[in-house]
Amino acid sequence: MTDLTRREWIKATGTVAAAGVVVARFSVPPAAAQEAEMIEIPAGKCLIGTTPEQADEIAAEHGYHVTWLEGEMPQREVDLPAFLMDKYPITNRQYAEFCKATGYKEPGYWRPRETLERLLDYPVISVNRADALAYCEWADKRLPTEDEWEKAARGEEGLTFPWGNEFDPEALRWNPEATPAGPRIAPVDAHPKGASPYGVMDMCGNVAEWCADPPKPHGGLRGGCWMTSEVLNLRAAARNMNGNDNNAANFYGFRCAKEVG
Amino acid sequence: MPITLTPVPKQMSVGASDVPAFENERFHLGIPESIGDAARAIWFGSVEPKWEALDDGAWLQTARLENELSYAITLTPYDDVIDIHVKLTNESDRTWANSLAFNCFNVGGPSVRDHECVRHWCRVGGEFKRLVEVPRKFSRRATIQLYSVEGQPPGSEIPFVHNFRATPEELDLEGWLAVVSRDGTRLVATASKPTLFLFQNMEYSCIHAAPSLGRLEPGETGEAINRIYFVEASLAEWHLRMLTDWF
Repeated sequence: MTDLTRREWIKATGTVAAAGVVVARFSVPPAAAQEAEMIEIPAGKCLIGTTPEQADEIAAEHGYHVTWLEGEMPQREVDLPAFLMDKYPITNRQYAEFCKATGYKEPGYWRPRETLERLLDYPVISVNRADALAYCEWADKRLPTEDEWEKAARGEEGLTFPWGNEFDPEALRWNPEATPAGPRIAPVDAHPKGASPYGVMDMCGNVAEWCADPPKPHGGLRGGCWMTSEVLNLRAAARNMNGNDNNAANFYGFRCAKEVG
Repeated sequence: MPITLTPVPKQMSVGASDVPAFENERFHLGIPESIGDAARAIWFGSVEPKWEALDDGAWLQTARLENELSYAITLTPYDDVIDIHVKLTNESDRTWANSLAFNCFNVGGPSVRDHECVRHWCRVGGEFKRLVEVPRKFSRRATIQLYSVEGQPPGSEIPFVHNFRATPEELDLEGWLAVVSRDGTRLVATASKPTLFLFQNMEYSCIHAAPSLGRLEPGETGEAINRIYFVEASLAEWHLRMLTDWF
């Protein structure tokens, strides 16, 4: 093993490491993870965040005090190298392959087994940051940074929502209902109208997605979720969510990113 | 029938069920999530408390951390209220300028949980306001926020509060927070007599009205009450009841 990097060794031997511990051997390559469709986000500049003028307008429109948008101000231009982004959030199908191959702990909601079978094409939920990172390591990928996530969602021009600047209630899974029995989580491909300028899907609503920063112990989560009822919190620039790294809430999921080439 | 309390053995933690206003929903209380000197409070898990069943569904939680503190917390359930009586003794050799019990009320029932604070209500300058209508201060922990309370030291002067760096300046609220149900017919609330400061965390949909036990010299004991409400009422009706109850 001395001539191989750890990752090369993992690939060569079919041994999977999660959370720094070798947990299992598997003979089948991580097909679902490796073959998951990824979209190349081209190198270049993009707008991240919100201007004070935009924030004033958004806050007034939604009845918020403007300081609730403090986390997304000021707006800035960033220049990112090209990267690959998963087209969809990680599904139960993909996460099940990971758990089967590595012996990694399964989410509790998969029991009874029929539940998992019914939810294969839904995003995995109830995953904490360590779970997301373990999956990424197994798949030879990583979590996107918040800047990468936002560029993939808003495009170079900084759209308000992935699909444009006007809210479209049919472009995402959210919950405007006044009862607890409102819409629940949706399959990752259920909202084709929600595509970002690059074709990345399901970025707003459905599951909030773990990002690679800021540093521990509270990671950034982006995109709102199936329970979000305020349009303001479904904008791609919104930053009012983050998560304790150990919290595996039933509205937390993730998708992977990777360097090009 | 009073609300059913179910303590978690050896933990500062208790469940609340059989809540008439929230049928089939269950709530969780971290009592206390933190307690002691506001400059050096101990946190959940620092001690293993003892739970003792009392009459009529009430429970007594006691704990002691040598050379620091001891406390006795009595939780008494009623039909739509849980009274939490806190008795805290300074067993350190320091004077505590402010002392507190940081009691967590996890508003997790599906009909009322609110991870966006859009149904969280407060009162400032004599007006009811949704929390999203009053200033906040964004911190690295984007989902939390603390608030100074009328008649109490500003958060900037309370180390426990200041350390979070998430307290809007020049904003004093009345000493309670409420969350209205999705259907608008019911609410839950927390209020203390007196309240030292307020806290909410959108990530967990939890609210806190930290009971103040005041300045405590070494050997001295302070007392305060935190009341948790589960009521079928409008915000204005509940507020009037709360004021009538206590003032």
